[in-house]
Amino acid sequence: MYNALEINDLFFKWENKESFKLKITKLEIENKKKIVIFGKSGSGKSTLLNLISGILSPLKGSLNINNIDITKLSQKKKDEFRANNIGVIFQQFNILDYISPLQNILLPCFFTKFKKYDKLYFYDRAFNLAQKIDINKNILLQNNSKNLSVGQKQRIAILRAIINKPFLILADEATSALDDKNKKDFINLLMNLCDEEKVTLLMVSHDTSLKKNFDDFINLEKILIRNENIN
Amino acid sequence: MKILINIAFQSLLNRKVTVILTIISLTISIVLFLSIDTLRLGAKKSFFGNVKSGDLILGARSGEIQLLLYSLFQIGSPTNNISWESYKEISKKPEVDWIIPISLGDSHKQFRVMGTTQNYFEKFSYRKDQKLLFKSGTYFRSTFDVVIGSDVAKILNYKLEDDIIIAHGIASQSLHDEFPFKIKGILKKTGTSTDKLVLVSLEALEAIHKDWKTGSKLPSKIKNKEKEIKNFDLTPKELTAAVIKLKSPISIFKIQREINDYQEESLQAIIPGIVLTKLWQIVSITENIMLSISSMVIVSAILGMIAILYSNLNNRRKEMALLRIVGASPKNIFTLMMVEAFLISFFSIIFAIVIVQISSFIFFPILDRQFGIFLEQKIWNARNLYFLNLVLISSLLVSIFPSIQAFRKSINDGI
Repeated sequence: MYNALEINDLFFKWENKESFKLKITKLEIENKKKIVIFGKSGSGKSTLLNLISGILSPLKGSLNINNIDITKLSQKKKDEFRANNIGVIFQQFNILDYISPLQNILLPCFFTKFKKYDKLYFYDRAFNLAQKIDINKNILLQNNSKNLSVGQKQRIAILRAIINKPFLILADEATSALDDKNKKDFINLLMNLCDEEKVTLLMVSHDTSLKKNFDDFINLEKILIRNENIN
Repeated sequence: MKILINIAFQSLLNRKVTVILTIISLTISIVLFLSIDTLRLGAKKSFFGNVKSGDLILGARSGEIQLLLYSLFQIGSPTNNISWESYKEISKKPEVDWIIPISLGDSHKQFRVMGTTQNYFEKFSYRKDQKLLFKSGTYFRSTFDVVIGSDVAKILNYKLEDDIIIAHGIASQSLHDEFPFKIKGILKKTGTSTDKLVLVSLEALEAIHKDWKTGSKLPSKIKNKEKEIKNFDLTPKELTAAVIKLKSPISIFKIQREINDYQEESLQAIIPGIVLTKLWQIVSITENIMLSISSMVIVSAILGMIAILYSNLNNRRKEMALLRIVGASPKNIFTLMMVEAFLISFFSIIFAIVIVQISSFIFFPILDRQFGIFLEQKIWNARNLYFLNLVLISSLLVSIFPSIQAFRKSINDGI
């Protein structure tokens, strides 16, 4: 088993904010594992996810995803790499309400796969995956996504993260806005799809009750050194 | 690119209230600018359209603008007339190609009566060398025939063979009712002052004034006026002005000097184009003010659009972050913002074109009827298209700033 994600001596600080610095000496996540990282608000969870997804660039260190050190890639290559290999689920799901649910699911394909592969394949895949999680064609083909329920939104968000057959899925506090029932449904759905699609899952959360659903958990405080503690 | 256009379009639709308001304000300002410009050019064209014919205008010595106004536009009155002898002598000069005599003084209802010769119908041209054409009938063949301009016919509802009575002077109640005129021709619309003229022969003017002395009618001894008048000498004694066309423009200044130095009588010759340009320079201050105001309206509308793009940036951070995460590069985000600005400006321009075109059909005839401003329906020219391109390019140029802002934010904005 090899590592899906490997971070070594990663150092990041904001260009104009001297007060915010962080360092991760080591973080390894095995392929196809489902890991949850716990941390309080403002502990640097989102910064960590932005570093892993290549939105932010560290000043030092290496960050390997599927054995590719993304810190070495140009901004353009990083954007491409992210679109092709990383699926992201946002805290508020971030569904664009002015486009249809289907277009929301296919959004990652628009910027990458559609350029190289058959569009029809991804349309079929979207319909098939949606069917599996009880989203019917009529919902997918609605003119916009304004009237989706919370449950439908979370499912569309999962499908959007998975549509491009990513290697890694990042989820940012994806259950924090959900009630217990929706949270349970969401976690079950996500786990099942990750198993089916054989994807590695890295979720950050402050909700330690999720521990039981994941293969392993990490406390952010243990791996991440903040500000004054950095030598 | 197709995807970005699609996303931009749907995103604009999603914010339709602000977007529609932005489009409306930009459209109104473009329409305002185009309308003012069309009106300005139309008025100028219609004004200068009167001076296409002659090289010189001959008249009694007075102000040159005054001479131009009463001879070509029939505005105001001459202070003095020119004698028939001087007119004949000047018309015999070898450099003269043709000459149109003009005799003013009388009126019919609110329209001025102009005495002239057949030359007026044959030689007078306006705008792009267009000749006077008859809508119906022909020019005067006998003494008491009259030709009327299209506005006269339209407003007074006259048709061929109608009788009309000419009044003495411009605002006089004394009528030349012993000499009814018969309408023998109606001219086609020209958009010049000719449309508002009642044209008679010089002989007719002489005839109707036989019994008049210093502006008053004398008791007449003639019984059957129309028959007996033919026995009189109807050669005019005086004229108001004359339009002269020279064989070669080289001799314009020579003839002008000769007329100005004419010994027998105090005469002057003006070059209509030059005098009209002087006159237009006085008017052009208003013209420039109008253009500046409408340009400022456009600038403020474009700035309004930019303000809206800016104010939306914060509300759209989530949207931009999502697009970045799913693979859109900062360059894509920049392009998206630019596409939105392009779509807003493009639709504003399209709507403005449609509105201007429709209003030209509705309002041009009204302007013509009410204010005598004749505007051609063909309003699209290289100048207008250049202006529309300028609006598009300048709105794109200023949109670069919010787009760069979006680009910068999107570099760091993610999850």
